[in-house]
Amino acid sequence: MHIIEGFLPWYWCVFWFVLSIPVVVYGIIKIKKVTDEIPESKSLLAVSGAFMFILSSLKIPSVTGSCSHPTGNGLGAAIFGPAVTAVLGTIVLIFQALLLAHGGITTLGANVFSMGIVGPLVAWLVYTGLVKAKISSRIAIFFAAFLGDLLTYVTTSIQLALAFPQPSFGAALGMFLGIFAVTQIPLAITEGLITVVIWNAILSSKSTLLKKLKILNPNHNESGDL
Amino acid sequence: MALDIDFIAHNSNLKNFNPNFKVLISFIFILVTLIANSPIVSLIIFAATAILIILIAKTPIKDYLQFISIPLLFSIITCTFMLFFLGSGEIIYNTGIFNITIREDSLNLAYSTFLRIVACFQALGFLTLTTPIMETFNVLSKLKIPKIFLEISMLMYNSIFIFLKQFELMTNSQKTRLGYNGVKNSYRSLGLLVSNLFIKSLNRSEALQNSLDSRCYGGEFPVYEK
Repeated sequence: MHIIEGFLPWYWCVFWFVLSIPVVVYGIIKIKKVTDEIPESKSLLAVSGAFMFILSSLKIPSVTGSCSHPTGNGLGAAIFGPAVTAVLGTIVLIFQALLLAHGGITTLGANVFSMGIVGPLVAWLVYTGLVKAKISSRIAIFFAAFLGDLLTYVTTSIQLALAFPQPSFGAALGMFLGIFAVTQIPLAITEGLITVVIWNAILSSKSTLLKKLKILNPNHNESGDL
Repeated sequence: MALDIDFIAHNSNLKNFNPNFKVLISFIFILVTLIANSPIVSLIIFAATAILIILIAKTPIKDYLQFISIPLLFSIITCTFMLFFLGSGEIIYNTGIFNITIREDSLNLAYSTFLRIVACFQALGFLTLTTPIMETFNVLSKLKIPKIFLEISMLMYNSIFIFLKQFELMTNSQKTRLGYNGVKNSYRSLGLLVSNLFIKSLNRSEALQNSLDSRCYGGEFPVYEK
């Protein structure tokens, strides 16, 4: 659920930009360090970003009959970590705004905060936490994708309620959450299931993948199956 | 697929117009609309951008309508929702169902927000419908945006089209084998599709790196300046 161009009052646009920029800058610094050491990782990052873009333009067959697209947060965060995902997510959101008229430039800060920062961070925390607790990575990735998705929508609701606190912030938040709950909880479950299916297929060919992914995250071996 | 906007931009009448001005015009329009936040300003900007897009840039009407249809639909839904559920002022109209009412302040909020969204996404649309994305990025590179960020964006942009092609081929071959017959099959096919695309994308990144290296890529895509 992208917040569309022009929907937020200008002070909220500024506010979310101020919150998002430091995280993205941190991600860029991290990427710069990796690419300076291993130049090949640049093309790997670019191709992964393109993969995320394609993933976000997919239609999921959903239970309710409606269609939505996966955010790819869970997968991205589990494979690349939250900082890199935040940067890739930002670029994907810019392309979505410019190429698909989906989202916007002034609302980019808010969208990056909910979809590029909160979502991946939650997904990554859940994934690493569950894997550390010796739970199968298949179950971990389901909850990572599910909760990452859900908290993205909760964040969006908070952003909307803050921008339109009528009659009060609490009442508006309840309203937005209520509307989202009906449509987004089934979608979050769907995204979780789809991510598990993808994860299974990726695991079955992990030996070739491991070698390449190590470029981005040298201690990948320790974080579970992949 | 969804990337028609890029095609339209390359065939626009304003394609050869200085991209710096186009970016500037579009951003000034958006900022003015956001900060003024008045229905009259929004209407003026809307009219101005419509004239720019249709009469001066000579964007085909059909493409233009297609471009605005999705954001327009979204904003109509959102603003209808705001009209009925937000607000605490004087009741002007009571629908008589579940205490759903239209209040004075929610009416004001809904129509001013609606006009603001429409004006803003059209101003952004002016940029995207007349400027190929590479030129937009070239303009952005002059504003202290980290080089690595733009570099990855440009590489990503190039990869997106390769993947779209691949994606279409794979979906078609799955469809001809009844891969999307029923919910269970759809999930399985989608999982296979995405994971294969991911593995292919990793292989692809190696090829991309090799081809870049063999052409002496030094981290920059030169763009011809007019």
